[in-house]
Amino acid sequence: MSTSTPIAIDTDRPGVPFGRLSKVEIRKMLDTRAGRWLLIVTGLLLALTMGIILLVIGLNEDLTIGAKGFSDAMVIPLSILLPVFAITTVTGEWGQRTHLVSFTLEPRRLRVVAAKLVAVLALALATIVVALIFGALGNLLAASVGGYDPIWNLDVSDLLWTIGLQLAFFAMAFALAMLFLSTPVAVVVFYAVALILPQMVYSILYGVFDWARDLIPWVDMNYAAVPLMTGQGMMGESVDVGALEWVRFVVTLVLWIAVPAAVGLRRIARSEVK
Amino acid sequence: MITVENLTKTYGQYRAVDDVSFVCRPGQVTGFLGPNGAGKSTTMRIIAGLTPADSGSATIGGVRYHDIPNPGTQVGVLLDASAQHAGRTGREILAIGAQTMGLSSSRVDEMLELVALTPSESKRRLRDYSLGMRQRLGIAHALLGDPKILILDEPANGLDPAGIHWMRSLLRTYADRGGTVLLSSHLLHEVQIIADELIVIGQGRIVAEGSKDELLAGAGTLVKAVDEQRLAAVLSGAGIAATPAANGGLQADADPAAVGRVVAGTDVVLTELRPADGAGLEEMFLQLTSDTQRENTTIQGASA
Repeated sequence: MSTSTPIAIDTDRPGVPFGRLSKVEIRKMLDTRAGRWLLIVTGLLLALTMGIILLVIGLNEDLTIGAKGFSDAMVIPLSILLPVFAITTVTGEWGQRTHLVSFTLEPRRLRVVAAKLVAVLALALATIVVALIFGALGNLLAASVGGYDPIWNLDVSDLLWTIGLQLAFFAMAFALAMLFLSTPVAVVVFYAVALILPQMVYSILYGVFDWARDLIPWVDMNYAAVPLMTGQGMMGESVDVGALEWVRFVVTLVLWIAVPAAVGLRRIARSEVK
Repeated sequence: MITVENLTKTYGQYRAVDDVSFVCRPGQVTGFLGPNGAGKSTTMRIIAGLTPADSGSATIGGVRYHDIPNPGTQVGVLLDASAQHAGRTGREILAIGAQTMGLSSSRVDEMLELVALTPSESKRRLRDYSLGMRQRLGIAHALLGDPKILILDEPANGLDPAGIHWMRSLLRTYADRGGTVLLSSHLLHEVQIIADELIVIGQGRIVAEGSKDELLAGAGTLVKAVDEQRLAAVLSGAGIAATPAANGGLQADADPAAVGRVVAGTDVVLTELRPADGAGLEEMFLQLTSDTQRENTTIQGASA
């Protein structure tokens, strides 16, 4: 083969642009049956939530609800199923072994992970916007059903906290996914920490024990965030919001997002892909 | 050009790849042959930057895989045809690859046509694909970005004989246009059909390498006679070592002309006289395979 010239690799060629990687990751989240069903069911849950609120308003003569109430209610369906996207976009690559392909087409693995995070946050924002539009429509409908003037009581700070906290939970799901690289483990841990413990365990302890009121806001993002959002604790008790409340919130972010993300990133960057 | 130098990878006590060096040149299809667990896949994953090596280096055109920009357009890699999302259609899998590399979607149709997957097959989900169809899809994926170099792990696994010949002509054409191909197989006859150059690996070490013709030329001559005892006596009388061949006749340690010359002056009646066909390589390969298996058995027996 003396005639053939040695093949040189073109190192001046542009790499895969980050925007394109992110678009591909969004596509990969939505192009499977599981992805489509998650979206469909979430849409149905949103419609159901709105339907129930309207029904209650229609049946109770003297009940009113404002935009704040609607926005609080409408993000609940989003936080039930959508974090699964944040988990499976990472763990699915290991489960289906598509990381063999993903990391050969873009060997800089952390860029792939960053593109996934962008895709997850874009999806979270898009669904929040949809939920808010639903909520605004619901607010108008509720007012006409209940026979009162619509109450637009959602201020910017409430809105930003709602969006920020929602994104924080998505980031937590994403970080746990990177840490465990296994769909079942990440799903179980995420829902235990984000949904089941606060609802079933913390709520009881918090109501009964003083030590729980001191401890839980150090370990739970919601319990830490609520005083900052509302100036009240989870039981509606008034709280003097100071540095301590902010430190607790930051501690929960570090505990559930920064630490698992750091360990997980290290694992992804160094592990063998096979 | 793929250059692998003194590559070593250990898992605990186990040396999966042990000081492996080789070169794959443009215009050639290089077959990487070895029994299961010999270290082929590990070596290929190291080349593609998926597995870190303990020591040694692997470069493509002088560059580490990690440093190749948009690598899909320069190196086509197929490491496991089943490592795709089972719920995606074949077409969607290629479309994702094309989008990542920044190619037009018409490239997807071209590749589907090249590997003979029909439009209706391309709309089926991967879980409904046979292994042969997955391999074709994997080849299509590796070729999407029109790379100059191909790295294929067991691409012929699951293909029927017609499929193996199809792959031979596909890769032959590719290499003739100046492409470099490294493909692995655990089956000698597959590699014999597809490859020009052979690298034989066993227990993490390279045990033979060279052109297929060289390696298959094997040692000596196959000779058969009406009276083989008499033939054996004549040959040993002339100082030519001969051993009984597997399928009858004798395997003589000399070239056919020398054997013919010795026999010509005697009353031995020959029924066959020809160069021994690849016996050297085949025997070596069988030996490798059975060594590995025997070792496994011993380990299992010892731990039981």
